[in-house]
Amino acid sequence: MGRTLTEKLLLGKGPPRAFPDSAYFEIEVDLVLGHDATISLLIDRFERVGGRIWNPSKCFFAADHFAPPSTPERADILRRYLDFVEAQEVPRDLLYRGISHQLLVEDPRCSPGMVICGADSHTTMAGALGTFATGLGSTDILALLLTGKAFLPVPDSVRITLVGKRPGWLFGKDIALAVIARLGPGGAVGRALEYHDLSEPGVPIEGRMTIANMAVEAGATNAVFAPDEILVRYIEERDARARRFINGAGDFTREPVWYYPDEDAEYLQEITIDLEDMPPLVALPGSPGNVVPIDCAKPVKVHQVFIGSCAGGRKEDIDAAARLLSGKRVAPGVRLVVTPASQSIYEDCLRSGAIEALTMAGALVTNSSCGACGGIDKGLIGAGEVCVSTSNRNFRGRMGSPDGLIYLASPLTAAAAALTGELADPRPFMGFD
Amino acid sequence: MSIRGRALVMGDNVNTDVLHPSQFFSLDSDRVRAGFLQAAAGYESLGRSNLSDCIVVAGENFGCGSSRETGARAFLLAGVRAIVARSLAHIFSRNVRNLGLVAVECPDLYSLPDQGSEVEINLEEYKLIVSATGQSLSINRLDPYWEAIMKSGGLMRFLQYSE
Ligand code: SF4
Repeated sequence: MGRTLTEKLLLGKGPPRAFPDSAYFEIEVDLVLGHDATISLLIDRFERVGGRIWNPSKCFFAADHFAPPSTPERADILRRYLDFVEAQEVPRDLLYRGISHQLLVEDPRCSPGMVICGADSHTTMAGALGTFATGLGSTDILALLLTGKAFLPVPDSVRITLVGKRPGWLFGKDIALAVIARLGPGGAVGRALEYHDLSEPGVPIEGRMTIANMAVEAGATNAVFAPDEILVRYIEERDARARRFINGAGDFTREPVWYYPDEDAEYLQEITIDLEDMPPLVALPGSPGNVVPIDCAKPVKVHQVFIGSCAGGRKEDIDAAARLLSGKRVAPGVRLVVTPASQSIYEDCLRSGAIEALTMAGALVTNSSCGACGGIDKGLIGAGEVCVSTSNRNFRGRMGSPDGLIYLASPLTAAAAALTGELADPRPFMGFD
Repeated sequence: MSIRGRALVMGDNVNTDVLHPSQFFSLDSDRVRAGFLQAAAGYESLGRSNLSDCIVVAGENFGCGSSRETGARAFLLAGVRAIVARSLAHIFSRNVRNLGLVAVECPDLYSLPDQGSEVEINLEEYKLIVSATGQSLSINRLDPYWEAIMKSGGLMRFLQYSE
């Protein structure tokens, strides 16, 4: 019987089963993603067992949640984490450089064919690069840091094929929402989503990252894009740049391993998403599964717009918002918070002029970090406030008050809300009618 | 083994931000405990009360969302005895089981029992029993891996680390 892409990624090295009749395998992990918020939870326990990290060079640790810290308690948590990272001799080049998930996909240490586990649910994002990538909690990560292995089941796969000519207004966020709407918020629990992009001209890698990121919003264990020209080109360009700029990058650049699913692989379900003429979508407050086309959403007054997070703070997102807002002003009283997902995106957007255009339009641009996304800092919302956000979760209380309301949307839809002060269809502002 | 308790009933797709809002993220156990159910509409005061005789009984995809283990820890700190849901979200189910809490799935749990009614999880026969109605539903058998973790009292003990 043929194997799916996820089966190949996880079973490639023939890992042993946890028990003879168990569905769990003891799998060697190539890279462990971590950050200040979730790694800090395990440090006491790690020290109590007197551990050393099995291989610090396989740790990919960022400082992104409390960066910089907004309360003394968070400063203490961050300090505890930074001291741990230093004592364990984990590489420190990623600290304060942006959101862990974004840094991972930008970095040559993350390579197609790998098995990646992260102390954060959105680790699924790295599946856009043809990896198996999943999130785990602190106890699983604690054991993984001690042993280098994780006990994982091999999820059955849902095969999702993207087809049709993608309209210029359609972003990864819209497609991610379409998938969640199709599967339901719990529709992919314990499953892998295997993406095949046959659409025209192909979803850009940044949009695929958003799609893989939000697979967890349908409950999926992981999401993986079948490698194609778009991915190969991205990896080649990324790694060539790294070799030029980072002396000795070759030390940690692993040659990509390109896995493809077998033609006779078995899928639980196969679905096709046609991008042709798909309108911008929006998730109404409460759940990323409350999806409606923007032109069917009831108009509502907006108090804050957030363009940021690992699901919506990439260059493509910030550029799109800048295109819509360039030469205009944000509606009076609307707080537009822009938080680039990484410092290198920030630098790129400074060079492209997008940051200047947005600032002149009235945006508040912050350093790259999680910020408002997880209700951490730099843009929380109060009771009764409405926020249109390019992030990935609109659960009650996610961005501050439990009585705030969060709409999830693409950067264009978010920018249109900033411009008009209302939830609005962005197409008329971009000359798409 | 059998666990009895008062049902703390919750619905479908209850996410970890609602179960334990990030504002209560902390390394301090008291603060983590204080956050339990604090963004779940209508459950706030229940969340603060003594729950040491409770079994959480929930619908589909329980515990979806963030991997923050403070959410899972809050269940233990609140004294919750076990969790049974129609289905459990992937990371959350690992988190609570790794910490030594019994968490099982009961796919036939379509009509949830009344808030506060007595329920029993029988882990020999893999049954959920609702005393008031006499209803007895099958619970999914745990994978041998999780059975071993449950018997050890959590992942670290299973791996023979003493914390
Ligand atoms: S940006 Fe938001 S979703 Fe992404 S890692 Fe940070 S808090 Fe989590």
